[in-house]
Amino acid sequence: MRALVAVLGGLALHPLHTTLTQLAYRDADGTVEATVRVFADDFRAALKGEVTDSAAVTYLRSTFALADPTGRPLVTTWCGIRRTGDLLWLCLRAAAHGLSGLRVRVALLFDRYADQINIVQATYGGRRTALLFTSGDAPKSLP
Amino acid sequence: MSELATYITLGFRHITDLEAMDHILFLFALAAIYRLRDWRDSLWVVTAFTVGHSVTLALAVTGALVLPTRLIEFLIPVTIVATCVENLVVPDRRRALWGGRYRPVFAGVFGLVHGAGFANYLRNLFVDQIALPLFGFNVGIELGQLVVLAIAAAMLAVLDRTFALATARAGQGVLRLRVVAVSAVVACVALRWAVERSPF
Repeated sequence: MRALVAVLGGLALHPLHTTLTQLAYRDADGTVEATVRVFADDFRAALKGEVTDSAAVTYLRSTFALADPTGRPLVTTWCGIRRTGDLLWLCLRAAAHGLSGLRVRVALLFDRYADQINIVQATYGGRRTALLFTSGDAPKSLP
Repeated sequence: MSELATYITLGFRHITDLEAMDHILFLFALAAIYRLRDWRDSLWVVTAFTVGHSVTLALAVTGALVLPTRLIEFLIPVTIVATCVENLVVPDRRRALWGGRYRPVFAGVFGLVHGAGFANYLRNLFVDQIALPLFGFNVGIELGQLVVLAIAAAMLAVLDRTFALATARAGQGVLRLRVVAVSAVVACVALRWAVERSPF
């Protein structure tokens, strides 16, 4: 019984390990803007140190990717980071022709939490759609 | 996947994840006193729990209610311990207050506490668009709880069979053994969490 209590007790605390990425198309400059919302303590743990622009963009580029409908990777540029409360808002942009058919991969924090879930929201063509990523998922296309 | 389905999946996975042991053990503690034929009672209790946490979740994520995270994280295991204690001190539910029919009420009240546990995460993440995530997450939680409840019922039936074979008891005798065993283990685990999370 003591062993059972020890094992179960070690599984305590269960925060939601989730990020939310919003994709928006900017007609003005023909780019897709990705805004990634991530909890600051989770992101700090993933970076294994302080959250600086260079550390954040390096980590993001290894875990977040966009490709056009043919599978050609889009080159992303860093557009900054801001914080509200416990949440960080990370921004990347990439030149694209639109959101429809865009291939997305979001693997943030999968190396950190087994129960990590990453949600992607995109609004275009008068509707909002969502993708859900769990560990091991391949890139997914927006409809 | 539609947006609603995404949030239902989020809630479902959250409650059925093995790392969600605090929620799972609370459901086990609630279910511990019921036999398979009492499935309606256990469904009422779990639904009352869902109603409770939905109310707090809605109040907290919309900012109508602000709750200190540390206190809530301490109170969650306290509710589990309290459920186990109630299991242990009421051996005969027919002679208990209201014939033991108060359980959905206290499951609902404890649900208020558990809902506050989710609230801070959802409020921060979906700060500008909370209605659909909140609804979907709650539906997912309810569906996940039904799955956990079904698994709990199967595991408790196996435990009954084991106790019956080991002790040559039957009926109420086996049920009481099961209630004591499950409640004791779950109470010890939750007590440890309560001590670890104590804000005092």
